[in-house]
Amino acid sequence: MTSTFPIKSETAQQVWNIFDRELIHKLKPLPEDERTDIRMEILSHLFESTVNNDNGSDTEEIRLINAISRLGSPEEYLDPLISDILLHQKASKGHPAAVLQSLRDSAKKSLLHGLMTLVLGMGYFWVIMLFIMSVMHIINPDVGIWYYPTGEISLSFSEQPDAMQWQTGWFSLIGIMSSSAAYWGLNKLLSYFISKSKA
Amino acid sequence: MESEQILDRWIPQFRKGLLEFIILLKLQQGNIYGYELAVEIKRLTEIEVAEGTLYPLLNRLKRDGLVTTEWQSVDGGSPRKYYEITPLGVETLVKMKTTWTQTHNSIFNMVMQS
Repeated sequence: MTSTFPIKSETAQQVWNIFDRELIHKLKPLPEDERTDIRMEILSHLFESTVNNDNGSDTEEIRLINAISRLGSPEEYLDPLISDILLHQKASKGHPAAVLQSLRDSAKKSLLHGLMTLVLGMGYFWVIMLFIMSVMHIINPDVGIWYYPTGEISLSFSEQPDAMQWQTGWFSLIGIMSSSAAYWGLNKLLSYFISKSKA
Repeated sequence: MESEQILDRWIPQFRKGLLEFIILLKLQQGNIYGYELAVEIKRLTEIEVAEGTLYPLLNRLKRDGLVTTEWQSVDGGSPRKYYEITPLGVETLVKMKTTWTQTHNSIFNMVMQS
């Protein structure tokens, strides 16, 4: 790092190292590539700011401290960056808490966002429902999709009189696979929606 | 509360709200890196914001596909991450300019009538 950002004085180097250590600690929750990218950008900014504010009288460490001060409090610029990146990544990976948080944030924005959240929320509800039923079907074969001669279809946890069960033997496999695929699809849709809603 | 105190609170909020628009305007003139952008914004707008607060905004613009980034090495200096406006960024900026002009004209008329 010293060769990338050539700090000359020993005291300034110590200040630089302390700042860098704090930066590394703060960025720990992020994946490696994001962590390196943000760290390098902040350090690059700091170096430019130190070099370009040389009035000839201040020592390098004073210029570095001033540059850190101009950058602002790390909480002010790192916290929004980190939470934004983490939320985006976790939601797109299907982390349930992040999905819920994204839906909550989205619902608060406007009527259109509220409607979209409702649609996505319903989607998640039915996908999770189908998954639970598919797992339950392994223990209790009566759990599944039943269809009546009239053409009506019912999702049921028990045997339905006068109705035929859909795919009795394959329901669990089809249900688990299709609900997993739909969950993945909904996460991608939510992820796209989050990025678009920030515009 | 004195009007000066109210203005001291209002002006930074007013200017901060325009930062994304200002960043895109600056990027339309050419690629720029974080530190240079912070200095330019201070020089052109006199907006006193902590330089670091630009980075969450730049990150958001990147995620929205309005800008792209590229690291470039500099002889004898630190590497720089340059930001470039995308076609979507230009398209969005055109719409922002229209909104800005309409809002500016409306408020200007109100100011003139008051």
